[in-house]
Amino acid sequence: MTFTLILEQTFNGLQAGVTLFLVAAGLTLILGIMDFVFLAHGSQVMIGAYAAAAITQATGNFYLGILLAVPVTFASGYLLEYLIIRHLYQRDHMEQVLATFGLILFFNEAIRVSFGPAALFSDLPPSLSGFVEILPATPYPAYRLGVIIVGLLCAVGIHLLVSRTRIGAMVRAGANNPEMTAALGINIKILFRFIFATGACLAGVAGMMLGPLTAVQPGMGEPLLILSLVVIIIGGIGSVRGAFVAAIIVGLVDTLGRVFLPAILRLFVEQATADGAGPALASMLVYILMAVVLIFRPTGLFPAKG
Amino acid sequence: MSGLSHFLTLASDGMKANRLFWLLIAGFALFPIFTHFADLPFWNDVAMRIMLLGMAAMGLNLVLGYGGMVSFGHAAFIGIGAYCVGIGEFYGLTNGWAHILLGIVVCGLMGLVIGYLALRTSGIYFIMITLAFAQMLFFLFVSLEQFGGDDGMSIDRAEFGLIDLYDPLRLYFLIWVALALVGLGLMFIVHSRFGVTLRAIKSNESRIEAMGLEPLQFKITGYVISAVICGLAGVLFANWQEYVSPDIMHWTRSGELMIIIILGGLGTLAGPLLGAIVFLLLEESLPIMLDTVAPAYAENWMILFGPLLIMVVMFGRGGLVGLLAAQRQSKNNPKREKVGQ
Repeated sequence: MTFTLILEQTFNGLQAGVTLFLVAAGLTLILGIMDFVFLAHGSQVMIGAYAAAAITQATGNFYLGILLAVPVTFASGYLLEYLIIRHLYQRDHMEQVLATFGLILFFNEAIRVSFGPAALFSDLPPSLSGFVEILPATPYPAYRLGVIIVGLLCAVGIHLLVSRTRIGAMVRAGANNPEMTAALGINIKILFRFIFATGACLAGVAGMMLGPLTAVQPGMGEPLLILSLVVIIIGGIGSVRGAFVAAIIVGLVDTLGRVFLPAILRLFVEQATADGAGPALASMLVYILMAVVLIFRPTGLFPAKG
Repeated sequence: MSGLSHFLTLASDGMKANRLFWLLIAGFALFPIFTHFADLPFWNDVAMRIMLLGMAAMGLNLVLGYGGMVSFGHAAFIGIGAYCVGIGEFYGLTNGWAHILLGIVVCGLMGLVIGYLALRTSGIYFIMITLAFAQMLFFLFVSLEQFGGDDGMSIDRAEFGLIDLYDPLRLYFLIWVALALVGLGLMFIVHSRFGVTLRAIKSNESRIEAMGLEPLQFKITGYVISAVICGLAGVLFANWQEYVSPDIMHWTRSGELMIIIILGGLGTLAGPLLGAIVFLLLEESLPIMLDTVAPAYAENWMILFGPLLIMVVMFGRGGLVGLLAAQRQSKNNPKREKVGQ
């Protein structure tokens, strides 16, 4: 187990972490700030991935695919809020669970009908498929590095948007006390629609960036949805900073656990058993982490509301 | 009043108050006669699945509907119950009664531990911590290679003394009896002192605390009972399916249970069973219906099922039981309905 391997896997963990953060940030806005249990957030990841893959295939240009997919996901979020979600804000969490579960079924099936059940694979352009030396003699895939950079830029952008801009102030005020904010002359309905579409768009961006790394297929967003729920719970619901810290932790724990846990297990049990049990135990790690955090800090690491 | 007559009054009151539930139970008892003469043995299988999922949903309903605790991880208890059969047989334990006992004890203990830890949180955090425990168990069983890991393990139907479960009707009525007993048990639990307190905690927890009761004790007890019911459903499920894999405790099944309850009606005895009937009948019939209209899309039935769930939420409150009650009320008193709306 060399230093290079550890470094490389740490970067992979970071890449998983920032992608997870984009999904979780959208969910923080929707679940944390608007208090709406949106299970179909994973579908937004899928929609983003399919939009990018389809446009890339049609135009032959990867960058154009990403560029055009962003407004597509924003529009899909906007439309979804207008058609269905806005009628459900006043309902209790369980009804929101039921309705958005219905949305998951619908989106997965709609994608399956229009694109077929098989996975789409999109090739990277030559400019992104090479390697970059992060340290002398330590090559790392350029695309993954790009994902990390884009993810970090998005994180900074979201932080600035929420904490430094007028819109951010309105969002925080709207989350704190919607009636009062509305009384101050802010159109809370439009504001919420904007937040929702932004959240959907962030998930979509995560999907677009994941496209070339994983298989683009129906239902691809659900594992991410569950993990990003874990992230916002660990971070503290409604806290963008908490979501970021937790996303990086979860990304690192998941990735490093997957690689190194089988190796550690091999010290204690025979190899076949270790290789079989390792990955699943690594998946358990994340949930163990979450349970431990919740047992000792029942409102997460960075609780946003008192 | 002697104990027995008190019991009988309670029972007859319960029967009256939950007429719909006992009608459904009677319907399930007569159903095999229908399938026999209509020569539709396949539908016995569907009915067994409905009863099993309905039973699990009734267990979850005790915490979800009556106790107001939104547990998103109850499929784990179904899974534990089912694995009690699989792992029991793996080690040579083939007696079905022993499986049931094992399932009840293990699920009770797991429910106690998970409930104790999870009930420190509330609201969305509770939803998520129950999900976390369920996911942990899911991945635990994925990792246990000696019990089949991802692929699961096949199961021989257990020996229930004189009841040979390979006779499909005996399996059917074993499940039926279990369902009726669970219903009877829940009916008494909900109306007992314990059940009343549990429901009171749902509406105002601090008030119960002010009355000198410890809400956590009641919540944990409710959680354990519901875990045990789901475990029993799991033991029977494994016998019905003759197979168990981690899929049985996938998080989507926990979601399915919640949907069944919400669809049927929260906090009612008949709700979860009615929800299971409608849910599984839709699951069975939508592909058939689509097959006649647009055969190419028969397997994409969920494209209709999803929007249907959304419409239930948008237009029907209180689930199907609520809908039925509203209809009966408007029949008895048509004017009041209009004023109310």
